[in-house]
Amino acid sequence: MESFGFIIPQKRYPLDRTRAILRKTAWAIFTIIFVIILNFFLFRVLPGDPARAGVRDPRLKKEAIEALQIKFGLDKPVINCFETLNPIKVGSCTVNPMETQFFIYVRNLLQGELGISYHTNRPVAEILAQRLGNTILLIGAGQILSIIIGVVFGIFAAWKARTAIDYGALAVSLMAWSLPTFWLAILLLFWGSAIGLPVAGKATPGMSSMPIFAQWADIAKHMFLPTLTYTIIYMGEYTLIMRSSLMDVLSEDYILTAKAKGLNAVQILRDHALKNAMLPMVTVIAINLGFTVAGAIQIETVFSWPGLGSSVAEAVERRDFPVLQGAFLLIAVTVILANLLADLTYTYLDPRVEVE
Amino acid sequence: MQIKAAESTPVRIDASRFAVFWQSFRKNPAGPVGFWMLVFVIIIAIFAPWLTPYEQSSSASVGVADIYQPPNAEHWLGTDDAGQDVFTNFIYGARISLFVGFFAAFISIVIGGVFGLVAGFFGGRWETFLMRFTDVMLVIPDLPLMVVIVAITKPSIMNIILVIGILGWTTTARVVRSQTLAVKSRKFVLRARAIGAGKRHIVTRHILPLVMPILVVQAVLAISLAILNESALAFIGLGDPSALSWGQMLNYAFGRGAMSAGAWWALVVPGFGIVWVVLALTLLGQGLEQVLNPRLDTHHLMPGRPKVGGQAQGGALPNDVILDVRNISIHYINDGSPPARAVENISFSLRKGELMGLVGESGCGKTTLMLALLKLLPAAGQIVNGNVYYKGKDLTSMNEDEINQIRWSRISIIFQGAMNALNPVRTVGDQIAEVILKHEPNFPKPRLTDRVNELLDLVGIASDHREHFPHQYSGGMRQRAMIAMALACNPDVVIADEPTTALDVMIQAQILQLLNDLRKKLGLSVIFVTHDLGVVAELCDKALVMYGGMTAEYADVDVTYNSPKHPYTQELLKAFPDLTKPKKKLSAIPGYPPRLDSLPPGCRFAPRCPAAFDRCQREEPALHKIESGHFASCHLLEASK
Repeated sequence: MESFGFIIPQKRYPLDRTRAILRKTAWAIFTIIFVIILNFFLFRVLPGDPARAGVRDPRLKKEAIEALQIKFGLDKPVINCFETLNPIKVGSCTVNPMETQFFIYVRNLLQGELGISYHTNRPVAEILAQRLGNTILLIGAGQILSIIIGVVFGIFAAWKARTAIDYGALAVSLMAWSLPTFWLAILLLFWGSAIGLPVAGKATPGMSSMPIFAQWADIAKHMFLPTLTYTIIYMGEYTLIMRSSLMDVLSEDYILTAKAKGLNAVQILRDHALKNAMLPMVTVIAINLGFTVAGAIQIETVFSWPGLGSSVAEAVERRDFPVLQGAFLLIAVTVILANLLADLTYTYLDPRVEVE
Repeated sequence: MQIKAAESTPVRIDASRFAVFWQSFRKNPAGPVGFWMLVFVIIIAIFAPWLTPYEQSSSASVGVADIYQPPNAEHWLGTDDAGQDVFTNFIYGARISLFVGFFAAFISIVIGGVFGLVAGFFGGRWETFLMRFTDVMLVIPDLPLMVVIVAITKPSIMNIILVIGILGWTTTARVVRSQTLAVKSRKFVLRARAIGAGKRHIVTRHILPLVMPILVVQAVLAISLAILNESALAFIGLGDPSALSWGQMLNYAFGRGAMSAGAWWALVVPGFGIVWVVLALTLLGQGLEQVLNPRLDTHHLMPGRPKVGGQAQGGALPNDVILDVRNISIHYINDGSPPARAVENISFSLRKGELMGLVGESGCGKTTLMLALLKLLPAAGQIVNGNVYYKGKDLTSMNEDEINQIRWSRISIIFQGAMNALNPVRTVGDQIAEVILKHEPNFPKPRLTDRVNELLDLVGIASDHREHFPHQYSGGMRQRAMIAMALACNPDVVIADEPTTALDVMIQAQILQLLNDLRKKLGLSVIFVTHDLGVVAELCDKALVMYGGMTAEYADVDVTYNSPKHPYTQELLKAFPDLTKPKKKLSAIPGYPPRLDSLPPGCRFAPRCPAAFDRCQREEPALHKIESGHFASCHLLEASK
């Protein structure tokens, strides 16, 4: 959390928009490359060498092991000069780089190959592709709701600063911020099962034969509790940030000008304060995306929601490293891209970033 | 397990500074509440063996009947999936959760602190490299990365602490770097460098003490994040099975049938512990941050204090008096300390087409007085006496809706520093059009653009700048745009509050010329707030000289210049170069204007006055009428009468 959300991130104004966009995009690409390299070495440097251990995993079929050997070149050196990295075994430096595990990994990645799950013997990419959509659905709904509620609460808290409304909003927000995500999910699960709400999965089995609207209604019912958890967890933080951002804006000189112009409070908020106060929110939402994934892992696990997050927890439980590796890569890349998107949105919202 | 790390981070603060710190810390209840909540948990953790009825993790004989017993006399908070006492495990769990939190946070703070200090202090390539690296690490979602690393390695408690600690440094590095940058350019550090102090000396003696408080706040926040992360890891199944933290208790309960057994106590109790500690740390962090970065927590939309005193004052007025200010007094109310008497008993009147100069040093209450005319005082400001009559109507007793009809349409303000007085995200033309539509809702839309162009033309801004944003304007243009905006509704009175501060001399002259021309052309009455006597002499009809919130002298400009009666006016004029007497020596007034919260008991000017005698130290002088339209407040005038 960027300094806990109580400090508004510093605004920087690059001189022209095109350069700003190019720079930000270049950074996102660089970060993705960094994550790809990190992901490769993490699974080879750390004790246990899970990449090779996989080949010996008794759960895998013989054909699958052979396919893995060929597909990922696990009999090849890890990278030039090194046979393996844990334990470090120095090898020949004159190997054709294309014949090392690293380049085979990169090549496979570019072709969308992420390995084969130890548990199901199915390609990881296929498993994750199904689940990515579900996670985006859940995070999307939760983000939209928590942002709306947080912004509204934040506006009232700032507008009515130092009144009961403000103190109430602050107390609720701090409380919500302090809740461990999975614990709130468990409490709501208790409550939900008591009042007969669906508490697990995305749909009732056998729904696929029902009309499409009934299916949607069923999914919405299943989404209710996870989304509610998500909304409560992140609402508090957005309230605090919106409040402090709006408090800053409302103490600016141009708000005094607006007041001197004879505008009333609602007009001042609507026409002079909100846009300016929302700008830092965009940055905070972007920075938060990484943390929302952390929330998704916990919420999806409690409610057995078939998303990326629960696949992480399942992979951990089954020590299914290819799935874990693939899920991490997919989550990281998605977060980086979402971050870039938020950054670019900011560039367009703030007129102080000029067009060349 | 010994909990050595569970002591608050030591800060080098001596006794008196600690007292000062504690006093401002106590102002906001959040900080102390969080502090005592945390102390409570730490005490429980330390004295766990004496507080618990059973041995840690003891379950000597487990039968089916011992599992998930609801709370009862033997087990106050019931038993868990292994038949162990939940209360006992909860108390010991505090030890482990706190240990993880403090230890991991310590690692994060050390790494982040070092990175931030190095980047901020040495700058250059180190800074570029470290900060880029920080940016990259900040984007990578950290819980998934922690999950990956802990899953590959062994989930032992030390591994978990190391991973959480090593991945949690990014925010600290950023915050410490910016603080270091800020501190580095302070005078005493520059001085130390200039006299050749070594880098190590500067960092340890000058920079670290000022970065330390921020590190403490960061540490508090890092502890809460570490505790949340540890519990999340444990819940996913990556906890140390031999260390029963609160998160691990939840993992066992959730994974081993507490839900289906309806054993809410096994789920609620450990979670409550986490919430308690995280909330405590959050409140403590809030409180500490308030002390470091005091925020006033006020803004322009907060309702002002209702006016007190000031009965309606009758009395006939000449017809051409537009604005009549009578005996107005304004205080700033600070809870707990005596009010600051910012403006005391000031009266003046303004005729149609008249230009009045309001002169005084910075902080003498000029701006406060002007804001009070339109009830624009900040939340702490209060009109405690007097009235402001606009064409016979008392503005001070109007409500918001009524005064909104007067604001800008009848009386407008040109604020000082137009950079901040214009909204940065709306075009200048749009901001001018807004005020026209506000006060003339029926203004024909097609004519609006023409009207805005006309106004911009009036102040010499080409109409193609209408669609530009304030930051695309130069300083002088912004000030002129502000003037155009002030004239948009054809007001009777324009208040120009130091409209030329921060502008260069040529632009100043242009703006003043423009204001004066417009006054003549449009028949405006203008109140011109300034500390530049030359401008007043050149432009104004009347001058009100203020000192320390009071009227020093109020007269026609000619009188003020040629026969000033108040010693302050006389001294001011001596400090002002006169072209007709080029050899005259300029003199400055020694001393400083009084602080409004600690005014001298007698005349406010007495400490600096060359003519002061003992009565001036004791008694505030009254405002004396010297002749019609010439007033001054000084005991000397009474003596001469």
